[in-house]
Amino acid sequence: MMTFVPRLSLLLFGLVLLGLPLAVGATTDLKQLIRDIEQQYMGVSSQALMQMEVSTSNWQRSLEMESWSLGRDLFLVRIIEPAKERGVATLKRNREVWNYLPKVDRTIKVPPSMMGGSWMGSHITNDDLVKANHIEEDYDLALLEESDRHSLIECLPKPDAPVVWGKIVYLVGKQPRVPRKIDYFDEQMVLVRTMTFEDVRQIGDRIVPLKLSVLPHDKPDEKTVMHYRELVYDIPLEESFFSLRSLTQR
Amino acid sequence: MYALSYAWRNLWRNRRRTLITLSAIALSIMLVQAAHNLSFGVYNSMIDSGVRSGSGHIAIYRAGYLDSRDENLDFAVADLATEIAALPGVSRVMPRLYLPALAQSSRESRGVLLIGVDPQRELGINPFLAQLPDEEMVRAADSRDAVIGARLLDELRIAPGQKFVVTAQHRDGSLHSELLRVHGVIRTGMKDIDGSLIMIGRQRAGLLAGSPDRAHELAIVLESAADSQRLLPVIAGLIAPEDEIEAVSWEQAMPNLANAIKLDYASQKLIFVLILLIVTIGVVNTLLMSVMERMREFGTILALGCPPARLRRLIFLEAFTLGLFAAVCGTILGSLLSWYLVEVGLDLKLFLDETIEFGGVIFEPVLRAQWDPWWMLRIALYVVGLTVFAALYPAIKAGRVTPVEGMRAH
Amino acid sequence: MLARLAFRNLWRNTRRTLLTLSAMVVSAALLILALGVFSGMFEDMLASATEQYSGHIVLAQSDYHQRRDLYAHLPLQLVDAEALRATPEVTGRSGRLRGFGLLSSGETSQPVELLGIRADQERRVTRLHRFVSSGTFLDAADEDGIVLGRGLATRLGVAPGDELVFVTQAADGSIGNDLLTVRGIFATGDSRQDNGLALVPLPWLQRLLALDGRIHEVAVRVAEPLRADLLATRLNSQLPDDVTALGWGALLPEMREVIASYDVSRMIFVAILYVATGLGILNTFFMSVMERHREFGILLAQGMRPWAIRRMVLLETLLLGSLALVIGVTLGGLLTLYMQRVGIDLSSQITPITYAGGTILPRLRAVFVLDNFLVPAVTLLLVSLLAGFLPANRAAGLDPVTALREE
Repeated sequence: MMTFVPRLSLLLFGLVLLGLPLAVGATTDLKQLIRDIEQQYMGVSSQALMQMEVSTSNWQRSLEMESWSLGRDLFLVRIIEPAKERGVATLKRNREVWNYLPKVDRTIKVPPSMMGGSWMGSHITNDDLVKANHIEEDYDLALLEESDRHSLIECLPKPDAPVVWGKIVYLVGKQPRVPRKIDYFDEQMVLVRTMTFEDVRQIGDRIVPLKLSVLPHDKPDEKTVMHYRELVYDIPLEESFFSLRSLTQR
Repeated sequence: MYALSYAWRNLWRNRRRTLITLSAIALSIMLVQAAHNLSFGVYNSMIDSGVRSGSGHIAIYRAGYLDSRDENLDFAVADLATEIAALPGVSRVMPRLYLPALAQSSRESRGVLLIGVDPQRELGINPFLAQLPDEEMVRAADSRDAVIGARLLDELRIAPGQKFVVTAQHRDGSLHSELLRVHGVIRTGMKDIDGSLIMIGRQRAGLLAGSPDRAHELAIVLESAADSQRLLPVIAGLIAPEDEIEAVSWEQAMPNLANAIKLDYASQKLIFVLILLIVTIGVVNTLLMSVMERMREFGTILALGCPPARLRRLIFLEAFTLGLFAAVCGTILGSLLSWYLVEVGLDLKLFLDETIEFGGVIFEPVLRAQWDPWWMLRIALYVVGLTVFAALYPAIKAGRVTPVEGMRAH
Repeated sequence: MLARLAFRNLWRNTRRTLLTLSAMVVSAALLILALGVFSGMFEDMLASATEQYSGHIVLAQSDYHQRRDLYAHLPLQLVDAEALRATPEVTGRSGRLRGFGLLSSGETSQPVELLGIRADQERRVTRLHRFVSSGTFLDAADEDGIVLGRGLATRLGVAPGDELVFVTQAADGSIGNDLLTVRGIFATGDSRQDNGLALVPLPWLQRLLALDGRIHEVAVRVAEPLRADLLATRLNSQLPDDVTALGWGALLPEMREVIASYDVSRMIFVAILYVATGLGILNTFFMSVMERHREFGILLAQGMRPWAIRRMVLLETLLLGSLALVIGVTLGGLLTLYMQRVGIDLSSQITPITYAGGTILPRLRAVFVLDNFLVPAVTLLLVSLLAGFLPANRAAGLDPVTALREE
């Protein structure tokens, strides 16, 4: 009944959409590092043009989308291509998700029971959009391995943290300091999903990977790839921009 | 008294005839009584199972909750539950919080029904938990233990001991998530329950919904179902009128179950009426025949100068004695059969393999009878009345017979 | 010779014969009526389980009924498959497409199961159209109508004439969404259907899900629901490999249990009915022959052979029993007819009842089943023969003097 899409955490949006601004001096204190990232997000605004390619065993699909974000809790995305779905938009406000459907000119709030459903046909669920994963709050971090080029950071969930994963392992590059790969394990330490990061570019004073791939391991022939075509940070955006009214505009 | 013993002796003058009539009546009484006791027992166990897993004999809700199932219609239970539990005749008071939620494992997600319960109060009462070993029950109301339907467990692709996350709507409209661990697995045989039920501690559910120490339902199980009419107004009296909460009987809280029983009972009543009609025909016939066959004898009695009124009375007395004796024998046989059905029961496992669901309630595949002595007495009295009634026509007829006619008959 | 004697014998004691006759007639008639009522209840139960939503047999890909996989679709032409058209037991077939998504009106939205149907086909398979409580059912020409469960309509706050939006993920991954107009609201009494099911025109759903010309299943109605599983097996051998026909017993295993358990309790009552009727008849016949010991004694004394007496009594009993059964079965048939036509309506006291996926209407009625006439007739005839033969046998074995001396 529910779509069979693997879980994805908001890491997708927390880390990738806003990039990892880690060009600053190296520190080995992981918590400090994460906290730095956290501080960086506060009040950060962005605008982007991105392409999303989804391949499943049943279809191939390519979407062009325009998105805006403010901090972690406000996020608006609108489809540009294909023409058939042009104008379909999603607004995330804190922990709520709204969809706008131009064809019928209606705004629909996704009810709790449907939060597990796929978002825009991708391997991302509505729930992934709202679960702002405060990784340093829900996980204990440990440096697993360090080489000249990479750090391997293991995140083990705190005993009572409401997260579905058993372990998350980050592969973070050192030069530049950006995430390269994230592996998600279940409680039996079976690898469930991998996210990879490529196409690392400098945007303003941040260095970010512009291409993100999601690979569900129980469906080897499926994946979702998001590629940022344009990305700008620190644009003037008010909180009122992320309203139901602006969702229905255009 | 003399007349009675005379009638009794008369009956046994033709032993074979009397025995046949007697056995027919007695066996019919036995069957009807045992069948009634059996369905009486089945209904009661259905009601019992239904009230324990559902609303209790008496349930308390916020006004409107029963119709809308709106999660915002909850109420504070602490004092009320204690007060009601202290009433004589109340066996258990079970506060429950019902939340529609999303359950997620690392691989799947499903819409579920989350029930927040006070674990110790449910244990040993709620039939959903009947197959669950005690140590698998949710340990404390604020623990993260979850008891989960077997089918749901499979669909989430997790195993006992593993974690999953539930998300539900908080009172303030936002979504809240909690981590839970599978502590026990229930297999009720009901698709809906096994595929969507998660039972957790009420404190934990309260945290999720932002309604700690509140409940949607207060299910009150009584020591005896017969007390529910008496206790309903008592319990309703404990509720402060300004709280907008109401006490209802299980028939109102679970109309489906009440109706299933009513319909089944209606069809059974029809069948009993038919059985009794068949028995009546048999009894009337046998009596008629035995009286008719004795016309010669009656003729002789009348010829000897016995007044017709006395003859009539004799016939009535004979019928009455026969009926009474048959009713006693039948009731003894009926009691024996009922006793077997009460103690041992009728095992449907001979015909079926799993537990059965009816009217949304599971019951054990062993049908057990339950004593309903008043009804048994009623049937016995009815049959006595019937035999006397059946003697009416023969008695009139016998009284009118002229001695010569009677002598000539047959 | 014996037969004529037996027949004349019967009318020598008219009163006794009439009494015996009436006992048998009335018991047989009542027994037949009771069996008819039981069959009626059983049929209601079976029909509610199978004809309300699923159909007697469903043709789909092998695990579709378990997983409801959107992609397990089949060509629409399956509805007119040769195997179905050539099977006379198939009385209706309906191609259906199923989609899960969100139904939304104003601020509220509800998860829903949408069933795309062709109204004219569906009417021949299920009875959902009979449960419409307000508005109308879909008609064959409807393009964007929706008929939804009452609970769903209440939660969405809609009435016939209102507009709804349905959103889901189409088979090509796109976001399918469109407007629907509420035509009617059904109330089956089954909370799962009333709170989560809606019917829409098949072409509309095919377009929305990007599954033109495809269906998920063909629901089939058959003449004899109890034989659906057997028929499904037979159909399977004639259908393409990727299509599996499943009878309701396989689709709804818990329903099979409910029906089996109902059948068990029915058997108990049927057994009681037979015993009660049999006892009554046994009693009457036994007595009517037993009372004639004296007569047999005379016959024996006159030189009649014991075997002749036995045969005479058997013939008498057979004649009387057959006569009684003809009348009794006719009377039983008439009573059953009355209960079939009129029945007992209990809806003033009881609302429809749901259980394991079906709804029973609160009524008592009877149906005609051949076995309900044949089995009682044969059984009761045997009982009466036995009841007549036993005392006759005994009398025939008696010494004439002893028999004559008996009262």
